[in-house]
Amino acid sequence: MHERLSFYINRDSAIHRLNPLTKLTMVLALIVIAFTFPIYWTALFLFLFILIPLSFVAKVFREFFFTATRLIFPAAGFLFVMQALFQPIGEQIIFQFYFLDVTQESLMFAFKNAMRIIVMISAFTLFLLTTHPSELMSDLTRRGLPGQFAYVIISTLQIIPQMQAKAQTIISAQRSRGLDTESTFLKRAGSVLPLVSPLVFGSLVEVEERAIAIEARGFTSKKEKTSFHEIPDSIQDKILRWVLIIFIIISILLNLWLS
Amino acid sequence: MAFVNIQNLTYKYPLTKTPALQNINLQIEQGEFISIIGANGAGKSTLCYALAGFVPHFFKGEISGIIEVDGIESSKSTLDEWVLNVGLAFQNPFNQISGAKYTVFEEIAFGLENIGVPREQMQSRVEEAMRLTGISNLADRSPYSLSGGQQQRVALTSILVMQPKLLVLDEPTSQMDPIGTREVFEVIHNLTQNGMTVVMVEHKVEWIAHFATRVIALKDGAVLTEGKPSDVLTSDVLIENGFGVSRYTSVAREAKKQGLWKKEKLPVTLFEAAEGFGSNK
Repeated sequence: MHERLSFYINRDSAIHRLNPLTKLTMVLALIVIAFTFPIYWTALFLFLFILIPLSFVAKVFREFFFTATRLIFPAAGFLFVMQALFQPIGEQIIFQFYFLDVTQESLMFAFKNAMRIIVMISAFTLFLLTTHPSELMSDLTRRGLPGQFAYVIISTLQIIPQMQAKAQTIISAQRSRGLDTESTFLKRAGSVLPLVSPLVFGSLVEVEERAIAIEARGFTSKKEKTSFHEIPDSIQDKILRWVLIIFIIISILLNLWLS
Repeated sequence: MAFVNIQNLTYKYPLTKTPALQNINLQIEQGEFISIIGANGAGKSTLCYALAGFVPHFFKGEISGIIEVDGIESSKSTLDEWVLNVGLAFQNPFNQISGAKYTVFEEIAFGLENIGVPREQMQSRVEEAMRLTGISNLADRSPYSLSGGQQQRVALTSILVMQPKLLVLDEPTSQMDPIGTREVFEVIHNLTQNGMTVVMVEHKVEWIAHFATRVIALKDGAVLTEGKPSDVLTSDVLIENGFGVSRYTSVAREAKKQGLWKKEKLPVTLFEAAEGFGSNK
C-alpha cells in the first residue's frame, strides 16, 4: 500500500454518505457555535455530546481518539497553560508561579479557549476522516470552485508523499557518496544544500512536464467540466444545511444581543 | 493533401541563439507509423511538441512555416482545441500522472472530465481505451502504486481515451524493460492497424524495423534522411553521422567487407540476419 497524505478512512456510515458540503457546513456550525454561543460550557458540551457521538456514528472513533490524544489535546493543553499563566485578569489568586499569578478567572478563560480550539480541530479531523479529498474537490468544483484551484489542492495531497519518497532516495544516494547526515548540528546543516538542491531543481523540471501532460488532456479546455463521480446531494442534505445555517445565525445573534 | 503537413518549419526556443528545428518539411498520410530517430538535441522532442501544439503555444519562441493536421493549421488554433486532435505522451510516466486522481480508472477519465464528456459516455470510453492497452485489470489500483511500464500504459490510455486523430509519442519506452517495450509496441501496432496515425520518437531500432512504416532521421534540427525502415536503418548516412544501428546491421556490415554477407541489403533484426547468413549455405 502506498502512502498518501490524507486522513480519509474508507468506511460506510451515515456521515460518510453525507454530501461534502453538508459536512463542511457542519464543521463551520460547530466552530461558530463554540466561539459565539453565550454559555460558558458550550464548547465542552459540543465536544462531549456532539463530536464524540458523531465519531461513533461515523465508525471512526478509534482514529478520532488517536488524533485527539496525539495532536489536539497536547496543542490545547499547551494553550491552556500559557493562557492560565499569562492572562492578567481576576483577583482570586489560586497560586503563584514566580511573578505570574494564576487566578480563577484566568483558569476559566484558558479552559474556555482550549475547549474552543479542541472543538475546532476535532471537527475538522472528523471531517477529514470521513470525506474523500477528491470527492470534496469535485463537489466544490461542481458548485463553482475554479478547477485549477481544486487541482492544486488535490494534487498536492498526492504529490507530497511522492516528493518525500524522492527526498529519501536523494538522501540515500548522497550518503552512499559519503555525505554526513548524522553527526554534529553544523555538519548536518552543511549537508542540507546537496540534499535540497536536486530535489528542488528536479521538481521544477517536473512541474513543466506535468503542466504539459495535463494540458495534453484538455485541462484548460473552455468547455464545462463534468465529473465521473456522482456525488449524492439529497434533500436531507439540503435541509440539514439550512438547519445548520439557522443555528449559526441564532448563535451569532444571541452573542451580539447579550454583549 | 496529406493528413499531416509540415512546411518550412523553423523554430527557435526563447532565449536561445540556434533554431531547434530548421526548415522541416514533412508529409504524413493517415494510418502511417512514423518513427523519428536522432541524437540528443537533434530536435526530436521539439518536433513532437510542434505536432502536439505546445510549440509555439506553450513554449512561445519564434516560429515560421506551416503545421497542418487534418486540414487545420496549428497557428490558427488554440492549444486547448488542438490537443483534442493530437495526443501527446512522453518519456517519464511518473510526470504524466495527473496527481488529481486516486484510481487508474479516474485517472484515465480525467481528460474526459476536462473536456466535458457526459458521465454516461465516460464509462464506456474509458473501458474501451483500457481494453485497447490491456490494463483493464488495473482499473481500481492507485496510479502511484504501479510499475513504470504499467504507468506508461496508463499515460498512453489517458491520451487514447481522448480519441485523438494523431498520436505523438516521445520516447515512451525509454524507461521500460523488454517486456514493457513489447507491450507498448504491440498496442501502438494495433492502433495503426485500426487507422490511427502515429509519430513516435524511438531508439530501439529493431522494434522500429518491425513496426514502423517510415523512419525519419533528424540531425541538428533538420531532416537528415527519411524512408522505409529497412533502407534508412541500414544506410551509410546513418553510420557516418554517428547514429546507433542495430547490432545485426553492424555484424552484417563487417561480414560484408569480408565477403560473408552475400545479400545486397543489410539486416536490422535478428530474423533478417539469421535468414541472410542462413542463405550462405
